[in-house]
Amino acid sequence: MSAPDRGAYAERQAHLLDALLRGDDFPPGFVAADADAAGVALRRKRGRAVAHAWPALALCLGDAFETRFDEFDRGAGASASGEPLRDGLAFALSLAEEDEPLGDDARVEMLLARASLRRRGIWLRAACLREPYPRLLLVARLPRAGTRQRSFAIGRARW
Amino acid sequence: MRPAAIITRLGAGAGWRPQIDGALAQVEELGFIEVIAESIGSGPLPPGIVAARERGLQVVPHGIGLSLGGAERPAPARLAHLASVAERVGAPLVSEHIAFVRADGREAGHLLPVPCTHQALEILCENVAIAQAALPVPLALEHVAALVQWPGAEMDEVTFVRALIERTGTLLLLDLSNLYANALNHGYDALEALERFPLERIAYVHVGGGVLRDGVYHDTHSHPVVPGVLHLVEELCAIADPPGVMLERDDDFPPPSELVAELRAIADAVRLGGERRVRP
Repeated sequence: MSAPDRGAYAERQAHLLDALLRGDDFPPGFVAADADAAGVALRRKRGRAVAHAWPALALCLGDAFETRFDEFDRGAGASASGEPLRDGLAFALSLAEEDEPLGDDARVEMLLARASLRRRGIWLRAACLREPYPRLLLVARLPRAGTRQRSFAIGRARW
Repeated sequence: MRPAAIITRLGAGAGWRPQIDGALAQVEELGFIEVIAESIGSGPLPPGIVAARERGLQVVPHGIGLSLGGAERPAPARLAHLASVAERVGAPLVSEHIAFVRADGREAGHLLPVPCTHQALEILCENVAIAQAALPVPLALEHVAALVQWPGAEMDEVTFVRALIERTGTLLLLDLSNLYANALNHGYDALEALERFPLERIAYVHVGGGVLRDGVYHDTHSHPVVPGVLHLVEELCAIADPPGVMLERDDDFPPPSELVAELRAIADAVRLGGERRVRP
């Protein structure tokens, strides 16, 4: 047998993965019902992985999380990395662009994810939060130190 | 054909997760735990895994990221990580999947099936050989549950798995939940397929839960083990003596009492099958 054509094999696998993520345009020969079910199952599993990595975001959206993430994952398609932290950040940013009200905990998750996904240099962001008390949160990513966060109470703290 | 790797006796096992570490620590009958290799970082081993080793349990690293069924050759860094985890936990073997998990630079986030073709078999054999050369212990390969099948199959799944195992000399991680799921969803006889697997090459067995949803069985590992899978455990043990049988539970963890009950149900099925095997 001649050496296998890894290039053609790679194209077929990429086409299948793309179709599963988008939920359409499956390569010829696949049983449509099976392919649909596989796509739904794959996106559901990816959604659960993102929900685990982003518990505050998942809580914020509640029962709508699965549907909203599935819609995002299908639309993101080629740009979705498949890494829960990275895809969750892309999802959260898309929600923010749509003016979806994200609670303070979800906003903290976004800042921490953005910091941890930085690979080089110093990164610093601040956010004014109301819960559990009015505060200014600073999140930084520092070389060799990783992600750090510090809160400063604003006004009189509530207990 | 490559010579088969030596098979270590493992006993009853469970997939180790931090969420159920306390529950598993109370189960005296356990002989091994399986840990997801990619979850082990370069820092100290999780205390639960260290404690399991100190109790005398064997630890089997289970890889999910090599993508042995992918078009690319397995990445040296990923192989080095799996080898490192195996050495750090004193593993008797490691396991991975007959699947691809990434394509075109994107992670699937799931184990996807390979075509049952001669070309795919050649690529897999090459990739597995690369992996075996990099690993300090034997490698067991797991067949996966797949809701979708590639068109143009040149052989069925069991024939494909048997050919791969025989050509590479690897061991088999027989997943009875995956067998149950594929047989149910694709309309074939699970028992007939079970008998054609290379049972003499079993390193250990996976038993996990699932759920029937809209007429499709999903191997979720987050639901109880269904009676049909337990039946396969008994039937397997009636015709073979698997070195290890373990419970897989990855999510929606039940109370410890339910976890223990599932482990006992698996042990009962193993025992009943074994009694039939020795007393036909």
